[in-house]
Amino acid sequence: MIRKTLFWLVTVTVLLTVIGPLLWIYLTAFKSAGDIFTTELKKLIVFAPTLDNYERLFTDHPFWFNLGNTAILSVVSTIFVMLVSLPAAYSFARWNTGGGHLLFVTISTRMFPGVVAAIPFFKMFSKFGLLDTHVGVILLYVYFNMSFATFLLYGFFREVPGELERAAMIDGYGRMEIFRKVVFPLILPGLAVTTVFCLIWSWNEFFYAFLFTRLTARTVTVLVSSFWGSIEVQYGPMAAGAAITILPTLVAAWFMQRYIIRGLTFGAVKG
Amino acid sequence: MISETTYKTTAEAQPSVVARKPSIWEVLTSERYFKWTLLIPLVLLLLVFMLYPLFYCLYYSFHEWGMQAEAIFIGLQNYRQMLNDQAFLEAFGRTFEVLAICIVAELLIGLGLALLWNREFKGQNIVRGLALLPLLVAPLVLSLLWNFMLEYDFGAANQVLTVIGLGKVYWWSPELALYTICLITIWQWFPFSVFVLLAGLRSLPRDVFEAAQVDGASGWYTFRRLTLPMLSPLIMIIVVLRAMWLIRLFDPLYGTTRGGVRTELLDWTVYRTAFVFFDVGYGSAMAIFSLFLTIALCAVMYRRLMKALGVIK
Repeated sequence: MIRKTLFWLVTVTVLLTVIGPLLWIYLTAFKSAGDIFTTELKKLIVFAPTLDNYERLFTDHPFWFNLGNTAILSVVSTIFVMLVSLPAAYSFARWNTGGGHLLFVTISTRMFPGVVAAIPFFKMFSKFGLLDTHVGVILLYVYFNMSFATFLLYGFFREVPGELERAAMIDGYGRMEIFRKVVFPLILPGLAVTTVFCLIWSWNEFFYAFLFTRLTARTVTVLVSSFWGSIEVQYGPMAAGAAITILPTLVAAWFMQRYIIRGLTFGAVKG
Repeated sequence: MISETTYKTTAEAQPSVVARKPSIWEVLTSERYFKWTLLIPLVLLLLVFMLYPLFYCLYYSFHEWGMQAEAIFIGLQNYRQMLNDQAFLEAFGRTFEVLAICIVAELLIGLGLALLWNREFKGQNIVRGLALLPLLVAPLVLSLLWNFMLEYDFGAANQVLTVIGLGKVYWWSPELALYTICLITIWQWFPFSVFVLLAGLRSLPRDVFEAAQVDGASGWYTFRRLTLPMLSPLIMIIVVLRAMWLIRLFDPLYGTTRGGVRTELLDWTVYRTAFVFFDVGYGSAMAIFSLFLTIALCAVMYRRLMKALGVIK
C-alpha cells in the first residue's frame, strides 16, 4: 500500500512538472495584462479570461502570414526531402550501397554544427538573392532534414522482407514496378511517421529562419521570438502566439506516442 | 582459318547489338545501376550541402575577411587568436559544463523513472502520452515561456516557491543563469531518456532475471550486474545523441539570456562573431573548431552508436 502510494505520488509529481508549464502557456494566453503581472498566487489559475492577447496578436502582428510561411516551408521542404530520401533509403536498405560508408557520411551531416553551413550559405544566398525568400529557406530545411529522413526510412525499409521482391521479380516485374507496387504500400506507415517528423522539425526550426528571413519569408518562431524585445516584452501576445504555434506539435506528440522514441533515435530504439 | 571465321561471326553479330542501344532510362533502371540511380539526388545534395560549406569555412578560416573587402591570407592567425581568446575559451568550457550536467541529470532521472514505470499499471498509456508531450515542442518557444515563468517578480515559479516557503530565487543572475538554462533543457528532454531506457527494460530477457531471483541475488546486485550492462547500448545512444544536440545549443539561449549573464556557449559565440561582428574569417575558424570538436567527441562513441543503429556489424 505504501509502495503504491509512493509510486503514484512520484508519477503525479512528474506529470505535473511536465504538464504544468504547458498548461500555464494556455492559461497566460487568455489573461489580461493585469492578471499576468500580479503576485497574487490564485491568479495563476483563477482569472477572468479575455481574448485581448489574440486580438493584439492578429491585428498588430502578421501572425497568420508568418504561420502560413511556416506551413508552406514545412510542407514544401518535406516533399523535397521525401523525393530525395525515399529512393536513397531504399537503395541503402536493399543493396547496402556503398557498404555502409555512404550512409555513414549521410548521417554525419546531422552532426554538423548549424553555423558551419550558415556562414557559406549566407554569403551564397546574398549573392543569388535568396535571402529572405521561401526558396532559400526550403533549401536549408531540405539539407537538415535529408539525412534524418534517409536514416529513419532506412530502418523501415529493412523491415520489408527481400523474398517479397524476389517473388515479384519472378513474376516478371521490373525494378520500378516492384518499388511502386510491392515495396511502397508496405512502407506507407513508416513514410507517414517520417513525414510527420520532418514537418515538425521544419515547423520548430529557429536558427536558420532567424538568420535567413526578415519579412517575406519570416516564420512564426521568429515572430514569437520578436515579442521578447530589448525595449519591452509583450508576454500576452507572446503566450497567445506560442499557444497556437505549439498546438500542432502537441497533437502530433499525442498521436505519435508509439513512434516518438523511434524517430528521435533515428530508428535505433523501437519504443 | 578458324580465327577468321570467328572474326566473321562476331562482326556479323555486332550490328544487331548496335542497332538497339539501350536508352539512358534502361541503363539507369537496369539491375546493375538501379541502386546507384536511386542515390543520385542524395549524393548531389550531399556534395552541395556538405562539402561546399566545409571547404568554404576551411578556406576562410585561414583568411582575414569581413564579407566586404578582399580576403587576406593570414595562415593560422585565426586559430592562434582563438586559443588566446578568453571569451571563446570560456564559452568552450561552459558548453562542456552544460553537456555534462544535462546528460548526467537526464540519465539519472531517466533511469529512475524507467525503473519505476517498468510495470503494468492503470493509466500507463496516459502517463506515457502526457510525459512525451514536451519532446516535440519548439525549444525556442518553450525557452521564451520559461524565461517568463522564472521571472523574479511575476514568474509563476517564484510565486509557487514563496508559498511553499522557500523564498524567491533570482534565476537569471550571473551565477545561476547557466544552470537555469540546463534546467529548462533537462525539463524538455528527460522524457527522452525515460522512454528509451524503458523500451530497453521492456525488451530484456525475463528468464535471466528469474534465474537471478532463484539464485537469491539481491535487487541492487541484479541491477548492477544484469540490468545496467544490458542497458549500456541504450545509454550509449542517449549520450551520443544528446551530446550531438547539446553541443549546438542555441534556441534556449536566444529565448532567455541572449548570451548575456555568463551564458555564452560555443555556437552562440560563432553566431555573434560571424553574423553580428561580421568577422567571417574568425567565425569560420570557430565553426571548423566546433565541427571537429563534435566529430572528436562522437568518434570515440560513434562506431558503437553505428553498431547500435545497425549500420555496421
